Amino acid sequence: MPVPLHARWRAVAVLAVAALGVAACSSSKNSSAAQDPNAKVTLTVGLFGTFGFKEAGLYDEYMKQHPNVTIKEDDVEQSADYWTRLKTRLASGSGLDDVQGIEIGFVSDVVQNHASQFVDFASLPEGNTLKSSFYDWKWQQATTSDGKTLGLGTDTGPEAICYRPDLLKAAGLPSDGATLATKWASWDDFINFGKQYESSPTKPKGSNFVDSAASIFSTAVYQGNEAYDNSSGKPDVANSDGVASAWKYSTEAAQAKITAGLQQFSTPWNKAFSSGAFAAIACPTWMMGYIQSQAGDGNSGKWSVAPVLPGGATNWGGSWLGVPKASKHQQAAEQLVEWLTNKEQEVTMWTKGGHWPSNSQAAADPAVKGATSTYFSNAPVGQIFGAIADKMKIPPIGLYDTQIQQAFTTQLTNVETKGTDPSKAYNDAMSAIKQVTG
Amino acid sequence: MTSTVDRPEVHGKVVATGSEPRRRQRHRGQPMHGGPGTYLALIVVTIVSVFPLYYTIVMASHTNAELARKTPPLLPSTALFGNISKAFELAPLNKGLVNSVIVSSCITAGTVAFCTLAGFAFAKLRFRGSNVLLGLCVVTMMVPMQMGIIPLYMLMARLGLANHIEAVILPTLVTAFGVFFMRQYIASAVPDELIEAGFVDGANTFRIFRSIVVPAVRPAMTVLAMLTFLTAWNDFFWPIIALSSQNPTVQVSFQSLATGYAPEQSIIMAGTLYGTLPVLVVFALLGRHIVGGIMQGAVKG
Amino acid sequence: MTTISDTRAVSTRRRRRTRPGSKAAYAYIAPFFLLFAAFSLYPWLDTAWVSLHDVRLSTYHQQTWIGLDNYKNLFTNAFFWRAFKNTITIGIISTVPQLCMALGIAHLLNYRLRGRTFFRVAILMPYATSLAAATVIFLQLFDKDLGIINWFLSELHLPRVDWQGSKWPAQIAVSSIVTWRWTGYNALIYLAGLQAIDGTLYEAAAIDGASRWQQFRHVTIPGLRPTILFTIVVSTIGASQLFGEPLLYHNGIPDGGTSYQYQTLGLLMYQQGWTNDRLGLASATAWTMFGIIVIAVLVNLALTRRRAHHFAAPEAAPTLQLSEVTR
Repeated sequence: MPVPLHARWRAVAVLAVAALGVAACSSSKNSSAAQDPNAKVTLTVGLFGTFGFKEAGLYDEYMKQHPNVTIKEDDVEQSADYWTRLKTRLASGSGLDDVQGIEIGFVSDVVQNHASQFVDFASLPEGNTLKSSFYDWKWQQATTSDGKTLGLGTDTGPEAICYRPDLLKAAGLPSDGATLATKWASWDDFINFGKQYESSPTKPKGSNFVDSAASIFSTAVYQGNEAYDNSSGKPDVANSDGVASAWKYSTEAAQAKITAGLQQFSTPWNKAFSSGAFAAIACPTWMMGYIQSQAGDGNSGKWSVAPVLPGGATNWGGSWLGVPKASKHQQAAEQLVEWLTNKEQEVTMWTKGGHWPSNSQAAADPAVKGATSTYFSNAPVGQIFGAIADKMKIPPIGLYDTQIQQAFTTQLTNVETKGTDPSKAYNDAMSAIKQVTG
Repeated sequence: MTSTVDRPEVHGKVVATGSEPRRRQRHRGQPMHGGPGTYLALIVVTIVSVFPLYYTIVMASHTNAELARKTPPLLPSTALFGNISKAFELAPLNKGLVNSVIVSSCITAGTVAFCTLAGFAFAKLRFRGSNVLLGLCVVTMMVPMQMGIIPLYMLMARLGLANHIEAVILPTLVTAFGVFFMRQYIASAVPDELIEAGFVDGANTFRIFRSIVVPAVRPAMTVLAMLTFLTAWNDFFWPIIALSSQNPTVQVSFQSLATGYAPEQSIIMAGTLYGTLPVLVVFALLGRHIVGGIMQGAVKG
Repeated sequence: MTTISDTRAVSTRRRRRTRPGSKAAYAYIAPFFLLFAAFSLYPWLDTAWVSLHDVRLSTYHQQTWIGLDNYKNLFTNAFFWRAFKNTITIGIISTVPQLCMALGIAHLLNYRLRGRTFFRVAILMPYATSLAAATVIFLQLFDKDLGIINWFLSELHLPRVDWQGSKWPAQIAVSSIVTWRWTGYNALIYLAGLQAIDGTLYEAAAIDGASRWQQFRHVTIPGLRPTILFTIVVSTIGASQLFGEPLLYHNGIPDGGTSYQYQTLGLLMYQQGWTNDRLGLASATAWTMFGIIVIAVLVNLALTRRRAHHFAAPEAAPTLQLSEVTR
C-alpha cells in the first residue's frame, strides 16, 4: 500500500511549519545605506577584550554629535577566537562588521594577506594628516610594503615595572621610584636585586621577587634589533638577538629562583595581585587596569610604578581599528574610526581607562603627561610612561609572534616549576615552533 | 487467569494479551521502592552534580575583589543583583536568551520528530539498504567536524544566512546521535508483533507510528529532548563564528560580559547564571515524563 | 522451504516479504539524509579536500596541492603520537568508570522514589553548568598549593600532588571533569532504556528466587543491551574527539599542559587548525581521527559482545527467554 496522502501531507506540513517558524525567527537585515550622508546608519564595531570605548562614554558622545548614527558593538572575549571569526569572514567575504579591531598579534597577517580587503587610510584625502598624528612605528606596523595603511592606532603598551613598595621595604630594600630606577637599569641589575630580595631574612613569607620568567622574556625579546622575525620578514628565531638575550635572562631568573613560577593570566596569577605572592612585574600601561580590577579597592596605595624598564624602553600590546571594504557604510565607518583615534578621544581613553595613546599628539597633551594614579601610590604615571613611550625601540613584528612567544613562555614554566634543563626547554620550544611555521 | 504457557513469549518479554489490564498497570516499571541506601547514594550524586552550579551562585554573588582573595568564599553573599545588572549593561543577555530559546526549541522539536521517524524506520521497517544506510548514519558521527566550520560558514554566507539564527538551527535539525538512539530504543521497546498486528489490522505505517510507537517511546523522546535542548543551548563554537552580538544566542551574548575595564569573574558568573535559568525550567517540566511501560496491554487501533 | 505462518509466531527467523511500510521508510529517513547532504556533506568533503593541500585560514583561497604530505607529517610527528596515546589513556579513564556509574545511577533512579523528578533533573545539572565555570572550580580543587584535594592529602600525611604539571595526575584530573560532566547524561540514556524493560520480568525473577544482583545481571543488562551498545559507541566517539575539557584545564591554551601531558587528538587538531592556522594539517588530523575512531568503535563493540555474553550467562530463571534484543 503506498504511503497514504494524508501521511505525506502531514510530513510536509511539519517541515513547512518548522521552516516558517525558523524564518519568522530571523531578524531583519539592515537596509543598505543610501549615499546621503545624513541617512540613518547603524555601524557595527567588532572588538575583542576590553577596548573600553563604551565604558569611556565615547559611543554616546559620537551619537550625540551625529544623531543619524547608531553604534553597536560586536564582542568576542578572547582575541584568538575573535581572530578566527574574522579570518573566516574575510575568507568568505561576508558577515564583516563596519569597523574591525586589529590586535598587534595579527596585524602583520592582515597587512600581508588581507590588504585588499581593508580601506587604505593613507590614500584618503586626509591621509597625510592622519599619518602625522600617530607614532611612526605604529603607523608602519599597519602599513603594507607598498604604502597602504589598513588601520588607525588605538592604544599602545609602553612598559615600566609595577611593584609593591611594602614588600620591598619589608625585605630591607629601597622602595622609592627614583632609587629603583638606578637599581633596575639593566636585566643583570634587576636579577641581582631579585637575588637580594630572595635572600633577605626579613622577606615576607611566601613571596618571590617577580611573578614569572615569562614576564622578563616577553619584555626582553622586543629590546633587541630583531624579535621573532628577521629584517626580511621571515621567522628566524635561532638567529635573533632579542630571543637570545630574553632566553638568557629569563632562564637565569628561573634558575636563581627569583620568580613565583606563575602562569600569566591564570587564576592563581590573578589572585597573586592581592596576595603578595610577588613584588614586581613587567607592566605595560594596560596592566595597571588589570591589577586594579584583580587586587580590588582594598589594595589601593599598595602598588606603585617605577620609572624604568630594565634593558631599555619597549612596547607590549596595542591595537588598531580598520574598516573592511565589505562594509556598506565605508565613509561613515571611516569617520567613526578617525574620530575614535583622534587626539581628544585618545586623551580621554588614557585618563578614563588607562589606555596609552598611539596618537602622538595625544601623548604630548598635558592631560596625558600630567596624569597620576591614586591607586598606584600617586605615581606620576603620565610622566613615567610618556618618557618610555618616547624612547621605545620597536623591532619588526611577524606573522607568528603570538604562537612563538607562547611556545617559549610555556617552556619557561617548565624550567621554573619542574627544574627542566634550559637547553632541553629551548629545543622543546623550537620543535613546538616548527609545528607553527611548518 | 491464563496460565504462563498461554501467554505468547516474545523476545524474552511477556506480552499481555489485553485480558488483564489492571494487573499490568500495577506492575508498571520497577515495582520496588528505593531503600535508604538508594536515597543516600542519590543525595551524594546530587551534591556532587549540583555543587559547581551552587558555586557559580556563590561567585556571582560576591564582588570581584572578594573572589580574588586567597581562600575562596563558600557561601553566597549579597552582590548578586548588582552583578546581574552590571552583566545586563555589558551584554545583550535577554536577546541571547530569547534567541537561544527559539533555536533550542526548534532544534529539539525537529530532532525529536525526525529522529523518531527515522529510528522507527530503521528499527521496524524493512527496506532495501536499511543496514547500509544505518551504518552510514552512524559513521557520520565519527568524523570530527571542527574544521568543517569554515566551509559551513561559507555555505551559510552564500545562502544569505550568516548572522541569522537559521544558520545555527539548520545544521543540527536532525542528528545521527538521535536517529541511532531512537533506533536502539524502538528496537527493544516495541515488539515486532504489535507492529505486524497493526499491519494485519489494516493500519497504514504512519498510523502505526502514531498509535503504537510514539506512546511506547515517550521516555526516550523525553530524554532525547532534554539532551538535545541542552546541547543546542550550550553550543558555543559554531554560534561564535556564525552569529554576532547583534543577533546572538545566549553563549554568544556571554562574550560581551568580559568587556568592562578588565574581565570581572563575578560579573561573568552572574551573566552565565542568568543564562542557565531557562534550562532548569525546561528540565523541571520535561523530567517527569521519563516514565515508561505504558505500552504493555491495550493497543487498539 | 519453510511455510510462512500468518499467526503471531515466535520465530526469530527473518521473514522475507514485502512489508507495507517499506516505501514510507524512505520518506521517514529522508529528513536526516537530506539535511546531512545539504549541510554536512559539503563540509565533510571539503575537509577531506583541504587535507590534501597546504592551506592557512589567512590565505584560504591559495591552496597548494601537496597530496598525502600532511598525513605523512602526522605519522612522523611526535606531537601526533603523544596526543594519540593521551587520547587512549584519558579515554579509558574517563569513559569506563563513567558508564558503570551511569548505569548504577540509572538503576537507582528507576526505583519508586520520592523526589524522583528532582533527582533526574539534578543529575543533568553538570551538563547544564557552563563548562568554563565548572573548570574554574575543578582547577581550584586540584590546585597544587591551595586546593582542597592536596590539603586532604597532606592531612593524611601523603605527599602533595601536582595536578596540573605531572602527567598522570593531570590526566586523572581532566578525566574527573569529563566524568563529572557526562555521567548524568549517560545515566538518563540508561534510564530511558530501563523504562522499556517489562516490570513483570523482575517480578517473575523475584518469584523464582533471584537476588537483586541476579535480577540486574539477567533482566536489566540483557534488556539494556541496545542502549549499552549505543552508549559505548557514542562514548567512544566522544572520548576520541575530546577537546573542551583539556582546553579549559589549561586556561584556554590548547597545548594540553606545559609538557603536552594531556593534549588529546581533538586538542591537537584545535591547536593545529585554529592556533597555528594550519588548516590542511588539522584536516588531515581530523580524517586520521576518523580512521582511529572507526577502529576504536569496532574494537569496543567486539569487547562488549564478548563480555556481555559472559556476563549475562544463560543460567537464568527458566520462565525467561534471554535472546538477542539487538538484531
